[in-house]
Amino acid sequence: MSPQVSNSNYSIQNRLLISFSILLFVFLGLTGVVLDRAFSNSIEAGASDRMQVQIYLLLAAADEDGGEFYFYETLQEPLFNQLNSGLYGFISKASLGELWRSDSAAAFEFSDTELLRQAVAVGETVFSKTLDDQNQEFFVLSYGILWDGISEYSFTVMENAAPYYSEIGNFRTSLWAWLGGVAILLLLMQVFLMRWGLSPLHYMAKDLKEIESGKKNQLEGGYPKELQRVTDNLNLLIESERQQQDRYRTTLGDLAHSLKTPLAVISGVLDKLSSNSTNSTEQESLSPELKSVDEQLERMNQIVSYQLQRAVKSDNKSTLSRQVSIEKTIEKVLDALAKVYREKSVQVEKNLDPAAIFNGDERDLLEVLGNVLDNAFKYGKSRVRVVVSNNGELEGRELVSIVVEDDGPGIDKGNQEFVLQRGARSDTLVQGQGIGLAVVTDIVDSYKGKISVGSSGLGGAEITISFAVLR
Amino acid sequence: MRLLVVEDEELLREQLVQGLVKHGYIVDGAEDGRSGLYYATEFEYDAAIIDLGLPEIDGISLIQKVRSEGKEFPVLILTARGDWQDKVAGLDAGADDYVVKPFQLEEIVARLNALLRRAAGFAKPKLDFAPLSLDISAKRLTVHDENVDLTAYEYKLLEYLMLHPGQVISKTELTEHLYAQDYDRDSNVLEVFIRRLRQKLDPDQLLKPIETVRGQGYRFCLEES
Repeated sequence: MSPQVSNSNYSIQNRLLISFSILLFVFLGLTGVVLDRAFSNSIEAGASDRMQVQIYLLLAAADEDGGEFYFYETLQEPLFNQLNSGLYGFISKASLGELWRSDSAAAFEFSDTELLRQAVAVGETVFSKTLDDQNQEFFVLSYGILWDGISEYSFTVMENAAPYYSEIGNFRTSLWAWLGGVAILLLLMQVFLMRWGLSPLHYMAKDLKEIESGKKNQLEGGYPKELQRVTDNLNLLIESERQQQDRYRTTLGDLAHSLKTPLAVISGVLDKLSSNSTNSTEQESLSPELKSVDEQLERMNQIVSYQLQRAVKSDNKSTLSRQVSIEKTIEKVLDALAKVYREKSVQVEKNLDPAAIFNGDERDLLEVLGNVLDNAFKYGKSRVRVVVSNNGELEGRELVSIVVEDDGPGIDKGNQEFVLQRGARSDTLVQGQGIGLAVVTDIVDSYKGKISVGSSGLGGAEITISFAVLR
Repeated sequence: MRLLVVEDEELLREQLVQGLVKHGYIVDGAEDGRSGLYYATEFEYDAAIIDLGLPEIDGISLIQKVRSEGKEFPVLILTARGDWQDKVAGLDAGADDYVVKPFQLEEIVARLNALLRRAAGFAKPKLDFAPLSLDISAKRLTVHDENVDLTAYEYKLLEYLMLHPGQVISKTELTEHLYAQDYDRDSNVLEVFIRRLRQKLDPDQLLKPIETVRGQGYRFCLEES
């Protein structure tokens, strides 16, 4: 169930956060640009209106005589009379160029000398922008008139744009400051709302984690109705998976039963045959054949046992595993073995960490501990030691180790590897060699655990098994 | 010694019953859990062999029911699966030992002997009541370290008495545990066997190992050594 790598780096929350942030920035950005434009346009329109009034003022005060313009009274607008005031008036004719300029424009130099030669149709106003020789920007409004019904002139007013631009600049600063503030506020709200909105998914992830580590069997609690169907289906899936595993085991168990009982019958018949032949004269001719039947029977039995135990052991899907107390399981097995080996009066030394747990099926742990402890009781002379401890870490996970020792003959150095050979084919098993440790190795491997054989301080064998634990 | 065998597979049950009878046991066979429970509660047994996979009442429940009825006789379980889940469950339910199918009859007999001896409180396979010594696994009696030949019935009788030393055993109990059901209880065969046993154990009448308790039965009265 490992997720696809390439897309998994972004959680749903991050994806939503990123996409909403992009949306937010695009929206606020466009809003800002539109507002900025609208404000600039309205400022320019305002300037244009003001300049139109100035043109009417000029028109009202102007007098023409032989193609020259005179102003007999001082212009009402003082800025026309003040040198370099920033408000300048011009009268021009397209064919002749400039005819008159206001006192304020005495020192003004055009960067575009052709500006006043552009023809403006009678009755029309033209709004434009231009630069002076110092690169200062000016708004320009020109108005075309027909003087006395004969000559066409252009009245032009220019006004320094800097004050307008500084007003636009001020507006722009406060506009973007506000929009930025709103963006941050919305982002914070978005994170908060996203957390709240996605919290059921977090709960679900937490629940699933607990199912994985065996603390829970099902997804519990109320989920929103969109998720309820998913959790219901997941619960169904978990349940049916468990049931299927159980069915699978039961079927295999029944298969074992139905295969082994006939084997027991054949073995009984063989017993009878061989005991009948003991006294007969045929004994010598019959005996080797019976012996080989017996051997084959034993092989069949081993194959059936080995394969069935391998199959019956759970296919440990970690998502469905549970937590099993190792201490309790060991006590169960020790109680059982104490009965079976009552005569041997084996002294058991225990040092079991009660907090040690096994993530998996109790049957598998029983199988592992049963086989290992049974060997210790069987081969040990009088002492068996079991130590369970939480020690070390492996890839960030806690490690539980189980050490079983006895004071028996032990296992030769040369054979220590051999007895643990995983998946040794059962038909290659040596006569009389138990299948116990091979099954143990298989189970331990299937849980990604480790098993090793060594020599114990007690004098016999020492089997060490370790598993990683999910808390 | 009277045994109960509960096994649903007919052939296997027959083999077990016949094999055990050959080894000198009195054996009743039951084909399912229900009749097994009936036999176990209605009759007195010295031990039982119970298969775990039984119809009607499964082996584990059968053992639990038998134990809850106060029956203390040793129980040997037969398991086909042979996994530790089964073994631990069986032993926890009250069984005393297990044998995994398929098995050799000798293995069953050896385990049974050990269970019977243990149930009687003897730790070793030899019952020593000096100068008598009875080896249960070899089924051999020595008196003053000399072999004494016993017939199968004589052996069974002596073994039962020696496994219950100091206790008064009624004739009925002896008959029930040593002979098949159809045995004629009124006959004096038991007295004949007791007399022959006394002669073989104690020809000079110095030890008097088997005491007759008038109106009640017999008692093995040597001290364990």
